[in-house]
Amino acid sequence: MSAIEIKDLHVAIGDKPIVKGLSLTIKQGEVHAIMGPNGTGKSTFSKAIAGHPDYTITQGDVLIDGQSILALEPDERARAGIFLAFQYPCEIPGVSIANFIRAAMQARLKDGEELDATGYYKQLYAQMDSLKIDRKFTSRAVNDGFSGGEKKRCEILQMAMLKPRFAFMDETDSGLDIDALRIVSEGIEHMRGADLGILLITHYQRLLNHIVPDFVHVMYDGRIVKSGDKSLALELEAKGYDWVKTELAAS
Amino acid sequence: MSTSLTETISPTGSFTPDIFAQHLAAQTGLPDWWLDAKRTAWAQFQSSPLPTIRDEAWRFSTRSGIKLDGYAPASASPSAQLPAHASDLPCAARLVFSNNVLAQHTALAADLAARGVIVEPLRDALVKHGDLVRRYLNQQHTNLGGDKFRALHTALAHDGVFIYVPAGVEVPTPIAVVHQASGAGATVFPHTLVVAEANARATIAEFFTSAEPDAVQLASGVNDLFAGPGAQLNYIAAQAWSSQTLAFQHNAITADRDARILALNVHLGGRQARHESHSRLIGPGAHSEMLALTVAQGTQEFDQRTLQTHQAPHTSSNLLYKNALLDSARTIFSGLIVVEPDAQKTDAYQSNRNLMLSDTAEANSLPGLEIQANDVRCSHGATTSRLDPEQEFYLLARGIPKAQAAELLLFGFFEKVLGEIPHEGLYQTIRALIQTKLKK
Amino acid sequence: MKPPSEPEATPAAPAPVNPLAGLDQSVSDFSYDVKYDYDAGTGLTPATIDYISSVKKEAAWIREFRHHALKVFESKPLPTHWATKDLETLDFSKIRYYLSQGAQKPKRTWEEVPDDIKKTFERLGVPEHERKFLAGVDAQFDSESAYSSIKEVVAKQGVIFMNSTEALREHPDLFRKWFGKVIPTSDNKFSALNSAVFSGGSFIYVPPGVKVAHPLQAYFRINAENFGQFERTLIIVDEGAELTYMEGCTAPKFSTSTLHSAVVELVAMKDAKIQYITVQNWAPNVYNLVTKRGLAHENAEIKWIDCNIGSHLTMKYPGVVLKGRKARGEVVSIALANDGQHQDTGAKMIHLADETTSTIISKSISVGQGRSTYRGIVRIPKHLKGCKNNTECDALLINTNSRTDTYPAITVQGQTHAAQHEASVSKVSEEMIFYMQQRGLTEAQAMSLAVNGFVNDLVRQFPMEYSVELKRLIDLEMEGSVG
Repeated sequence: MSAIEIKDLHVAIGDKPIVKGLSLTIKQGEVHAIMGPNGTGKSTFSKAIAGHPDYTITQGDVLIDGQSILALEPDERARAGIFLAFQYPCEIPGVSIANFIRAAMQARLKDGEELDATGYYKQLYAQMDSLKIDRKFTSRAVNDGFSGGEKKRCEILQMAMLKPRFAFMDETDSGLDIDALRIVSEGIEHMRGADLGILLITHYQRLLNHIVPDFVHVMYDGRIVKSGDKSLALELEAKGYDWVKTELAAS
Repeated sequence: MSTSLTETISPTGSFTPDIFAQHLAAQTGLPDWWLDAKRTAWAQFQSSPLPTIRDEAWRFSTRSGIKLDGYAPASASPSAQLPAHASDLPCAARLVFSNNVLAQHTALAADLAARGVIVEPLRDALVKHGDLVRRYLNQQHTNLGGDKFRALHTALAHDGVFIYVPAGVEVPTPIAVVHQASGAGATVFPHTLVVAEANARATIAEFFTSAEPDAVQLASGVNDLFAGPGAQLNYIAAQAWSSQTLAFQHNAITADRDARILALNVHLGGRQARHESHSRLIGPGAHSEMLALTVAQGTQEFDQRTLQTHQAPHTSSNLLYKNALLDSARTIFSGLIVVEPDAQKTDAYQSNRNLMLSDTAEANSLPGLEIQANDVRCSHGATTSRLDPEQEFYLLARGIPKAQAAELLLFGFFEKVLGEIPHEGLYQTIRALIQTKLKK
Repeated sequence: MKPPSEPEATPAAPAPVNPLAGLDQSVSDFSYDVKYDYDAGTGLTPATIDYISSVKKEAAWIREFRHHALKVFESKPLPTHWATKDLETLDFSKIRYYLSQGAQKPKRTWEEVPDDIKKTFERLGVPEHERKFLAGVDAQFDSESAYSSIKEVVAKQGVIFMNSTEALREHPDLFRKWFGKVIPTSDNKFSALNSAVFSGGSFIYVPPGVKVAHPLQAYFRINAENFGQFERTLIIVDEGAELTYMEGCTAPKFSTSTLHSAVVELVAMKDAKIQYITVQNWAPNVYNLVTKRGLAHENAEIKWIDCNIGSHLTMKYPGVVLKGRKARGEVVSIALANDGQHQDTGAKMIHLADETTSTIISKSISVGQGRSTYRGIVRIPKHLKGCKNNTECDALLINTNSRTDTYPAITVQGQTHAAQHEASVSKVSEEMIFYMQQRGLTEAQAMSLAVNGFVNDLVRQFPMEYSVELKRLIDLEMEGSVG
C-alpha cells in the first residue's frame, strides 16, 4: 500500500507565504477532507503538490512511498499517481476530450507500447455513461464552452480514466446544483477503494454528506489546526469556522 | 548595410531573354492568344522593378531575400522519384507534375467526363477547349503587389491543370494536383484554373513539394477559382516546398451570386514564401471563406497578403489566418477588407492569430479595413501570444509530457482551421504533413 | 507677470529684412484682411529662417538647428507611399511660415464677424468674453488674472511654465537637453518643417515629486500662442511628478493659414505621470499635420487624449516610447470627419523595456462623405520580456457614402508578450433610432444621442468643461446628417 506524505510544507506565491507548515499523510484507500474558510491556503496547497509553476515550495517535502517528488515536473508527478481535480478547470479549444485523455493514457504506457484504441473507447464510453455525460462530448474540446457542472464531471471522467493513486479534489462541489453534486459524488464514491487515496478540499459540509470521509482536517492560516473523524465536519457545520478561530486563539 | 548601396540586384536575375525565347520555342501547337499573353507578361516582368522600401505592399518583407539569380530555369528535368501525396486518397482524378511536366495522370471517371466535367492538363485544354479556357485564363489578378512574379509565372508557365464543372454537376471526391520541384536551381510555375458553373460542386486538393528537402529552388504558382451562381468550391492546398525555396503563390477567387468558396492554405515550406490571396464577391449572397495555417520554423519567412473585396450587396466573407512561430521564423500577415460603395449589407470578418513558440520569432500583423458603405458588419482582430501557461499546466497535470503537451495545444490552436477540411482523408493527410514538419 | 506670448512688443533695431518684401503677398484663404507687423512672406528659403530667427533674437545654435531642419525637410519626400495623395496638393511655396502681430491690435470689429460663426459660438456655449478673441477681434483673450494666479500657484511648487520662445531664452540648458530628442528633426517631413520654422507653443518643467493639481492651460486655453501654425511644445515632468495639460478648444479655429504643423514632445521621468489632452476643431481648409510623442521612463505613465474635429486633412499619431521598465502608454482618440474632411489619426507604441504596457482606444465617426482612418504602429522587440498591448478601434458610419479605413501594424518578437488588436465598423441601428423617435425625439436628435452614446465612455475621460462642449459640438456636426 502506498502513501503520500506531506511534511511541514511551506508554499509562497511570489514573496507571500500562503501555506505555513502543513503536514499530512494520506494512504491509499483513505478518504480525507480538508475544510477551512476561504483564503487559508487550501487551493494553494493542492496546486503546489501538483507542481504549478506559480507556487514556490519554500520549505518541507512531499514524498510518495518515501521518495520526494519535489524535483519532478508536473507531468512526472501526475504519472507518479497524483491527480488534481481543478477548482476551475481551464478550457482547451481545439483539443477534443477523446484525444486529450488518450494522450494522457498513452503517456502512461512504456515506450513503444500503443494504447488499444477499441479498448480505450469502450472504457471511455462506459465511464461517460456512468457519469451521465453525453457520448457526443468526446469530440468536443476540453472544457470549451462547458457549464460549471459539465466541467466538474469532465474532471471526474479524467480521474476515472487515468486511475491515480492520490486524488486532490479542489472544491469539486463548488458551482454544482443538487443533481450535479449527486452525480459527481457518486462518481467519486464509485472510485473509492483500496487503490485510491482521496483528499477532498471543501468549504462546505454538504459534499461530505455524499462522500463520508475517514478523516477531517481543519485548515486555518496555512496550517492544519485540528483533525478528527467525520463528526468534526458536522461540528464545524454547526458551530462555524469562528469556533476554530476562537479555540485557536485560546490555546 | 553599406554593401547594399553598391551592390545592384538584377531585377530579372537568372531569367534572361534566352530563357524566355527557349521556353516560347517549346510552346508549339498552343493558341496564339496564349503565346501573346506570354510575351506581354514577359515584357512586364522585365520592365518592373523588384520591391523597394517604399513599396507598401511589401512592408515588413525581407526584400533582400527576393533575388532572382542563382537559379537554373532551363536545366531541370523531371524527377524519376514522384511524390506519393494523395496517392492513397480517394480522388476523382489525380495529376502529378514534376518540374512543370506532367508525370502521372489518373484520369477522371467516365461518368463524370460524360457529364461534361473537364480535368485536364492545361496544355491539352488550351488546344481542346481553347475558347472556354480563354474566357477565364489569366482574367483575374491578385492586385497585392506581386504582379512582377505573377508575370514571370505567366511568361514561363509550361503546364498546369484546367478544371471545369458544368452547371449542376457535383464531383464527390477531391481532385488532386501535385507539383514537385526537383534538383538544385529548379524553377516551377504551377497553374491551376478552376471553373464551377451554376450550382456545381467540387473539391480540389493541391500539394506543392520538393524532391530534395533543402534544394535551392524557385516557385511562382497561380491558382484561379471561379464559382458561378450557387456553386460551391473547396480548395485545399498544402505548400511544402524545400526549405530553401523562394516561393510566390497568387490565388484569386471570384464568387458570383450565392456561390460559396472555401480556400484553405497550409504553409509549411520555403525559405521565403509570399502568399497572395484575393477574394472577390461579385454577386449578392456570395460567400468566401479564406483560411490558412502556417508553421514557421528556423529562419523561414512567410509573407501573407490578403484582400477581401465586396463588390455586391449582401455578400459575406470570413478570413482566419493562424500562424505558429518557432525558432527565429518570421511571419507577416497583411489583410484588407474592402467594401465598395454599393456593397451594403456586407458581412466581413478577418482574423489573424499568431502563436509565439520561441523568444526569437517575429510576427507582424497588419489587419486592414477600407469601408465605403455604412450598413455593414465588418470587424477584424489580431492577437499575438504564447501558449497559455494554465492550459499547459492542465495537460502536464494529467501526465502528458511537455513536448507532447505543446504539440497537442498547437493542433488545438490549428483545429479551428483544420476542422474545416471537408474530407476526412484529406484532413488526415494535411495533419500528417504538419506533424512531419514539426518532427524536424 | 505676463502670459505666454511672443514676440516681445518691439524687436530691436535694425529690423530684419523681409526676404519677400515688395512681392505680392495676396495669398488666398484669408478670412480677414489683417496687417501683420512681422511677415516672413510666402515660400520657404534659408532667408525665411534667418528672418524668423532675427525677429525672435535667437541664439546661434537655434538658428543652425533651423537651417539644418530646412535641409532635412527639403530632402524628404512626401510620405504618399502610405499616406493620402491629397498631400500633393499642398504647395509649400505658397504658404506663409511666420506671421506675427507684435503689439498691434487687429483692426476688426465684432460686427464684421460672419453670422454663422457667431451662431456657432452661441450654440457651443462659448463664454461671451472668449468669443471676440476666437473670432479674431481681440488679439489676446484677457485671462490675465486667472492665469496669473494659477501660474503663481505652480511657480511656488517650482514649476516652470512659459512659451517656448521665452523658455529658449530663460532656460536654454533645460530646454536644449530634451529639445528634439523625443522627436528628432528627421523623424518625418513635417517634424522637419516644424523644426525649421517653429514658433510658439509651451514649455513646462515640473520638478521631482510635484503633483500639479489643476490641469495647466485650462485657465488660459485661449491665447495667440496656441493658435500658432508651427507650435513647438516641450514638457518635462521629473521623477514622481504629475501633470495634466490641455490644449485647443471646441470652438472652430478661424485660421488664416492652410497648413498647421505642430511638434509636441513629452518627457516623463521615473514614476512620473503626464496626461495631455487635445481638442481641435479646425476650419475645413486646413491641413493639420502634427507629430506628438512622449518618452516614458521607468514606471512612468503617458496618456494622450486626442479629439480631432474639422480640418481638411488631419494626420496625427500620438506616440509613446516606453523606455523604462513598467512604463505605461495610452492613447485615447476620438475623430469626427464630416463632408470633405479626412481624419487620418492613430497611435504609435514603441516598447523598449520589459513589462511595458500600452493601450490604444480609437473611436471615429464619419458623416456624409467624411473619411476617417485609423493608422497604428505597435512594436515589441525580442530582447524584451512581458510586454503587453491592447488596441481597440471602432468606427461609426452615419451615411451610406461615409468611409472608414483601419491600417494597424503590429510587430511582436518573442513569446513572453501579448498583443491584441480589435476593430469593428458599425452604423447606428435603425431600431435604435426608431425607438427614440417613438419616444418623441426627432431623427436628428436621436442620431446625435446615438453618436454621443458611441463616444460617451471616451468623452467622460475629458475634463468636465471639455466634455460638455464636445457633446454640443457633436450635436452641431450631426445636424443635417440625416433626412
